[in-house]
Amino acid sequence: MEKILIVEDDETLRDELSNLLSNSGYEVLILTDFKNSKEEIIKQNPDLILLDINIPYLNGEALLKSLRDDNKNIPVIMLTSSNKTIDEVLSISYGADDYITKPYNPTILLLRINNIFKRMKKSFDYLEYNDLKIYPNKGIIVKDNEEIYITKNEMLIFTYLLNNRGSIVNRDDLMSYLWNSDEYINDNALTVNISRLRAKLANIGYDNVIITRKGEGYLLK
Amino acid sequence: MKLSTYLKDKLYAFIIFIAYIIVLILFLIALKLSSSIIIFITVFTTIIFFIILFYDYFRKRKFYLELLEKLDNLDQKYLLIEMLLEPNFLEGKILYQVLDEVNKNEHDLISELKQKEQDFKEYIELWIHEVKLPLASLTLMNRKDTNTLRELKRIEDDVEQILYYVRCENANNDYLIKEWNLENIVKNVALRNKDDLLALSIDLKVNNCNLKVLTDSKWLEFIINQIVSNSIKYKKDKDSFIEITGKDLENSVTITIYDNGKGISKSDLPRVFKKTFTGENGRGTKATGMGLYLCKELCEKLGHKIEITSCLGEYTKVVITIYKKGFYNLD
Repeated sequence: MEKILIVEDDETLRDELSNLLSNSGYEVLILTDFKNSKEEIIKQNPDLILLDINIPYLNGEALLKSLRDDNKNIPVIMLTSSNKTIDEVLSISYGADDYITKPYNPTILLLRINNIFKRMKKSFDYLEYNDLKIYPNKGIIVKDNEEIYITKNEMLIFTYLLNNRGSIVNRDDLMSYLWNSDEYINDNALTVNISRLRAKLANIGYDNVIITRKGEGYLLK
Repeated sequence: MKLSTYLKDKLYAFIIFIAYIIVLILFLIALKLSSSIIIFITVFTTIIFFIILFYDYFRKRKFYLELLEKLDNLDQKYLLIEMLLEPNFLEGKILYQVLDEVNKNEHDLISELKQKEQDFKEYIELWIHEVKLPLASLTLMNRKDTNTLRELKRIEDDVEQILYYVRCENANNDYLIKEWNLENIVKNVALRNKDDLLALSIDLKVNNCNLKVLTDSKWLEFIINQIVSNSIKYKKDKDSFIEITGKDLENSVTITIYDNGKGISKSDLPRVFKKTFTGENGRGTKATGMGLYLCKELCEKLGHKIEITSCLGEYTKVVITIYKKGFYNLD
């Protein structure tokens, strides 16, 4: 389980954030001693840091810089209510991996976190589903050396369901995922894409693998 | 300072002088002096009188001409005193000192106001920073409740409007022009408005936005967000869509935001960028009349161009032109 450290001094926000992250299957660490923040961070050794800019003592940007100066390459997402471009540019130049302004859409935050972990892991160029090999970048599914082409939207939906295999994915999260990938589709289009994906999967022998849970979402068996 | 006006101003001197000459002549006649001596004294006195008068005229003329000419040419009239040398005659000196004093006083007042404005701006920025914390908490608490999220987004938009209002009314420019990808900026706007667009079934189409633009990403995001928010607010009852299209031209990149909404009437159109203007659409509803005004102001500061065309009941089209390096619009 990946460990995420939250560096945020507003308690309510910190609690909500930690709620969101632990519900999404991450181990949550919290920084409480801002005086020795850098030593604390090194001691806790997280896999990812969510860093606010406006924190007591050393501010977020300075903290990030001193971490990077010490050759600590833990990925960092800046979470801030600052609306100034200069803060974003500064954070990125100090080595932040992403920069998100408050208030943020929770689904988007989770997607961005996920992106960073995906980037860190040795990324395979294909995913597996039973005896299917899925190549997201090429837009094809391979079964017994036979290639089946699917559209970008269908691929996004399939990979998202596959990454959350066995648990219910609600429509809204799926929608956020598509919009975050520059596919601004509407409700009808989502329904159409899912039924097309179902039909294509049925053609290669995977009938009824995407189950609709009324009022909840979809589930990939 | 014309000679004639100067002489008119000195009319009293002429009257006194003429009266004096008459008395002098009568006095000299009474002394039974010869007429040639009388003429000589009269002419000589008159010449002296005019020498004094002209000397005075030319001495003042130089100063006042310079004063008026500089006043005419100066853009910032209050800088006048800085452009003048202190003259060497009494009235000029008095005027100069008075102007200097008034100027200093004005400067103090202005810098005090500037300081107040700066303090206010800093307070607003701080306040917005603070108010975003509970907003972020509420967003996380209500992450399953789209309706609450949409209301929270409205608060967020309104809060942001104040921030940009304060920023654009202020003299110091805290923006940073850099190369950004338009697609990411458009994506942020799309994600911010996602819940509204889906709930109101407005289709969003984005074409050809994978372009590099020289801008401040946060400012441009705010501008596009304002325009998209307007499109959402004034949508048609059915089959609504918003189309965002990027175009790469030789000297510039243009972003076109087109909607098939209610449109703006011909009489309102020239005034939509005016501060606190609310047209037929906005009157009596939730319009503040600040959105498009801010878009225009911010675009001007960034050196972008913004234009709006519309047909009532059919469409509204906003085009933002972002100039490329070396083609910066300096007007």
